[in-house]
Amino acid sequence: MQDKDKLFEETTRSPKSTKTASVKLPVNTEAIGALIKVTIDDKEIRVPMGTTILEAAGKLGLNIPTLCYHEDLCISGVCRICIVEIEGYRTLQASCAFTITQPINVHTHTRKVRQARRHILDLLLSNHYGECYTCVRNNNCELQKLANEYGVDFYRFGHIEKPTYGRDESSYAIVRDMDKCIMCRRCVRTCIDLQEVGVYEAMNKGAETHIGTFMDNPMAQLICINCGQCINRCPTGALHANDPSDAIWAAIDDPTKHVVIQTAPAPRSAIGECFGLEPGTPLTFEMNTAMRYCGFDKVFDTNFAADLTIIEEGTELILRLYNALVKKGQQALPQFTSCSPGWVKYIEHFYPEFLPNMSSAKSPQQMFGAVIKTYYAELNNIDPADIVTVALMPCTAKKFECNRPEMNDSGFKDIDYGLTTRELAQMFKETGIDLINMKKSDFDDPFGTATGSGIIFGATGGVMESALRSVYEFISGEKIENLFEHARIIPVRGFEGVRYVELPIAKIGPVPAILKHLVPDWNWLKGVTLKVAVAHGTANAKNILDDIKAGGRMSECHFIEFMACPGGCLGGGGMPIPTDEKIRAARARAIYAEDESSEVRKSYENPAIIRLYSEFLADGPCGHKSHKLLHTGYTPRGKKLV
Amino acid sequence: MQIIDRQKVNEQINDLKKKYGDDRSALMPILQDLQEIYEYLPNVVMQETAHALGIHPVEVEGVASFYSFFRTKEKQGKYVIRLCRTISCDLAGKSNVARQLENELGVKFGETTKDGKFTLEYTNCLGMCDQGPALMINDRLFAKVDPEKASQIIADCRRDFLKSDFPKVVPSDVKKAGPILDHGLKPAEALKKALGMSRSDIINTIRESGLKGRGGAGFPTAVKWQLAGAAKGKNKYVVCNADEGEPGTFKDRMLLYEHTDILLDGMTIGAYAIGASKGFIYLRGEYLYMKKYLEEALKNRRSENLLGKNILGKDGFNFNIQIRMGAGAYVCGEETALIESLEGYRGEPRNRPPFPVDTGFQGNPTIVNNVETFIDAALIISKGAEWFNEHGTEKSKGMKIFSISGDCRHPGIYEFPFGIKVSELLKEVGGEDAKAVQIGGASGHCISRKDFNRTIAFEDIGSGGSIIVFGPDTDMLQVARNFLEFFVEESCGQCTPCRDGNPKLLEGVEMLENGRCSVAYLNELKKLGETIQNASKCGLGQSSPNAFLSIVDNFKPEILGRVPEAE
Repeated sequence: MQDKDKLFEETTRSPKSTKTASVKLPVNTEAIGALIKVTIDDKEIRVPMGTTILEAAGKLGLNIPTLCYHEDLCISGVCRICIVEIEGYRTLQASCAFTITQPINVHTHTRKVRQARRHILDLLLSNHYGECYTCVRNNNCELQKLANEYGVDFYRFGHIEKPTYGRDESSYAIVRDMDKCIMCRRCVRTCIDLQEVGVYEAMNKGAETHIGTFMDNPMAQLICINCGQCINRCPTGALHANDPSDAIWAAIDDPTKHVVIQTAPAPRSAIGECFGLEPGTPLTFEMNTAMRYCGFDKVFDTNFAADLTIIEEGTELILRLYNALVKKGQQALPQFTSCSPGWVKYIEHFYPEFLPNMSSAKSPQQMFGAVIKTYYAELNNIDPADIVTVALMPCTAKKFECNRPEMNDSGFKDIDYGLTTRELAQMFKETGIDLINMKKSDFDDPFGTATGSGIIFGATGGVMESALRSVYEFISGEKIENLFEHARIIPVRGFEGVRYVELPIAKIGPVPAILKHLVPDWNWLKGVTLKVAVAHGTANAKNILDDIKAGGRMSECHFIEFMACPGGCLGGGGMPIPTDEKIRAARARAIYAEDESSEVRKSYENPAIIRLYSEFLADGPCGHKSHKLLHTGYTPRGKKLV
Repeated sequence: MQIIDRQKVNEQINDLKKKYGDDRSALMPILQDLQEIYEYLPNVVMQETAHALGIHPVEVEGVASFYSFFRTKEKQGKYVIRLCRTISCDLAGKSNVARQLENELGVKFGETTKDGKFTLEYTNCLGMCDQGPALMINDRLFAKVDPEKASQIIADCRRDFLKSDFPKVVPSDVKKAGPILDHGLKPAEALKKALGMSRSDIINTIRESGLKGRGGAGFPTAVKWQLAGAAKGKNKYVVCNADEGEPGTFKDRMLLYEHTDILLDGMTIGAYAIGASKGFIYLRGEYLYMKKYLEEALKNRRSENLLGKNILGKDGFNFNIQIRMGAGAYVCGEETALIESLEGYRGEPRNRPPFPVDTGFQGNPTIVNNVETFIDAALIISKGAEWFNEHGTEKSKGMKIFSISGDCRHPGIYEFPFGIKVSELLKEVGGEDAKAVQIGGASGHCISRKDFNRTIAFEDIGSGGSIIVFGPDTDMLQVARNFLEFFVEESCGQCTPCRDGNPKLLEGVEMLENGRCSVAYLNELKKLGETIQNASKCGLGQSSPNAFLSIVDNFKPEILGRVPEAE
């Protein structure tokens, strides 16, 4: 069913950092797999050839400080904080970059090492403008933590007194404060290697070196997809999200405003991390109470809108297939998902020729906004002009998305503010909320009940899994559980960069009532094998698009899920820092557990959705009204910068 | 503002891609040619180049901004005047020339005249240290410039050099030749002999000779060749490091020009020994005037089947050499930075291991050797290991070519055996009264009279051949300042100790100049210097504080407690 082969190389080209980091074994490649004895601080361990000293030390439980190292990224070896002394070597070696190819004896805290680390910190601090207590990363800063650990109690080499660069707050999503930059280049590697976007690069050389953007353009004028992955990997406060909480507080304080918040699935799995809990501790219902305590009038579950997205996007897929297979019309296939706003902007810039493949369905966030300012406003007799919609998202790109000029089909901005997990945690802290011990409470009606399908939108593969659950049952008339135990569509899950799945349609059933106006029967799908793929991280998306262009296997797909962020939303740019492989996996476990514990697990069975279609969107999925409110168009932006 | 036609830019880029290749390694030459056309690298040109090579515009700007010969923000003048500000030229009166140039042109350094005719800039070491002050205008070099000559040169420029008394190529000044420079070998003689030998015989002969890398680090050449020969790789590469950027070094300029064929023999022998099919000469941007000459030499060799397919009838031995120009970045003399530069990246040294011998150019086994090393190798193959190793010391075999400049009566190029005492050397060059000698360029050591009986050899004071003599009146703080300014500018800027540490040392020198540095802080700076030596990523970073540290150690009475002139 699933192709277990690795579908693509990690990256199509060879970015500098991977190349210099690649552990290439010298001369005798037969030695791969051989175990080599390493002694670190008098402890012995045998490690496979090519292991780095940092990894070997980790296995021994020894802690070596790092700054430029990030496990998601390739090795850079530039900050030099992780240096260690190796017997027989004249100079200190960066443990993150030094690959073990012969037995060595390493010392991690000799006088030389301690002096050098302290000096490196002193040097970084001397150019690090600003004070910790006015910094968004206070208490969550890697530089601050090291300064503390190494007992920095004065500026040995002075301290910069005036900012050099100033802040760039032009972007809705990302604020750059280069005066706090320590030039670890994680953002450069993230943006070029992981995301294939290329906003940042090191500029100039020598003392003039700094991280720059193309022609020093402000963020709003660059080709940036707003994914915020750079923020998640920045060790200091040099990159952070554009925080709307002041405006949100003002709306809450305004008695004429009806402030509602919707919460996406990923933040609930992670917000506990901001309060010292282990990653993957879900706090869904505690968070609901806390948000009401903050003063939000209503708390809704974005999963409702995720279910709505599945109905609209799934219907659109069926229509596209029908047009292509039966009417033999020109139809752009495969259909691409459109719920990740980072991905949407990526394709608008880099592959505008594929925009016809994009599902026209809005993202859950925007659909929900449109429904709140129409259906909900009518139902409760509130003037939509007085409704302020806030979206709690794991995502910084959502901040840009809600400000897209086309997102106002109700006559009002669908969503007024996009708020990240980190920013909500900050609002909670400001109100003195003890989130962990908060009483639990449910979401508000009329959208209260959500399905497990909505929840798994938070993980890569989740949209695909939800869509398959509903679409398969629509077509076959039988339960997906007959194919996949507990409706767990395992082949689309996981963290492999690109996943490809084939699902043969062996059986067809009657057309469900909700789709009757669109297709007469399913005979045309009998024997068809549904081919789908999933990608996360835009570098992987690029691989798929290039493959489609070249007429490769991906061009035969019917439906492809794309998420801009590695891991999907649970690895989003608005999620708690740090985010790494283990943390993403823990968040995914929380999300899938919530899915399993849901009473309803298929979008089309969501009673609130059924009610919405019968009461409000009476002409059905992809009907006239839903097209007006729930669908959108895209802008071919291209790669040219003026 | 100039309106640039994107379509035309694309046509130009496509032509250049045909010439230089369509992968990223073509980036530098493409940018160099485009800058020639547009007189700088406009925004649109960088964007289109990026898209044509499948990379991001910001990466192109990152590369362009790294190399000082590229301009991205504004047009440069028709004539770019680059005055050398490195120590030897500084000692020879660079400041007066600088002032006069500003007077003649009415602009300051870093500016372009309103008519767009002249851009005035400083540059680091032009490789004319024995004939300073030196300056470079586009691809022409000018030696022994004084303020009056500066004005004449400007006048010649205004006439577009239609008539000029200055020589097109400044001759090198060889003061003392020895067995190496008087080799008497004909072109291809060494190569012919090599092709009659087995690969292992070649490497063994080099090993017996004891040849160590002439660039300064002193790595045994035979080991390098053997490792690269044994390494597995789709292609193998031979790279000649002609990025002679170490302040005070100018012997490679002479070797490249006057012993071209021996060098190319050496490279070809190296290719044969390791099984390489492609070679590069990475020529520093400052030696642009030599490019045509070298290309001509390569063309001749191709027509004589000394390069190309089945060289001299040797079946299956194919080898070709391309010239790649640097663009004004000292750090590219470090071999991994050089490879990065060849690949079209910022010239930032890589983590080692892996080493170039197995993971070099585009991940393939690569040997990078200095110009002199290749020449020595060719001569050793032709004349035998013993001819070479009868000179020198136990651990530093052979003769060495030295570039000698500064306060001495006979600056120039000398051939001495390794193991020569500093005092002997000073006697030969007419610098007996020297107060200090800088051995090994900016990254070398500054020794005082008490150490003049030490020897120049890898086991004592190693050197790539740069010797700068400081006379009795030299202000050693000024020397320290000059070298630190050099590193503050020429550090590649990636690792913390070198990038951020050297400016702190420079600040310390300023404090010393103003008589405001406590001994305690000076000791802290010395420790910082040790950290830079211990913790920097590459060899250049590690050696950047050497001059500062040795000056502080050797001349403490002179630098402490100064009373600044104003007080």
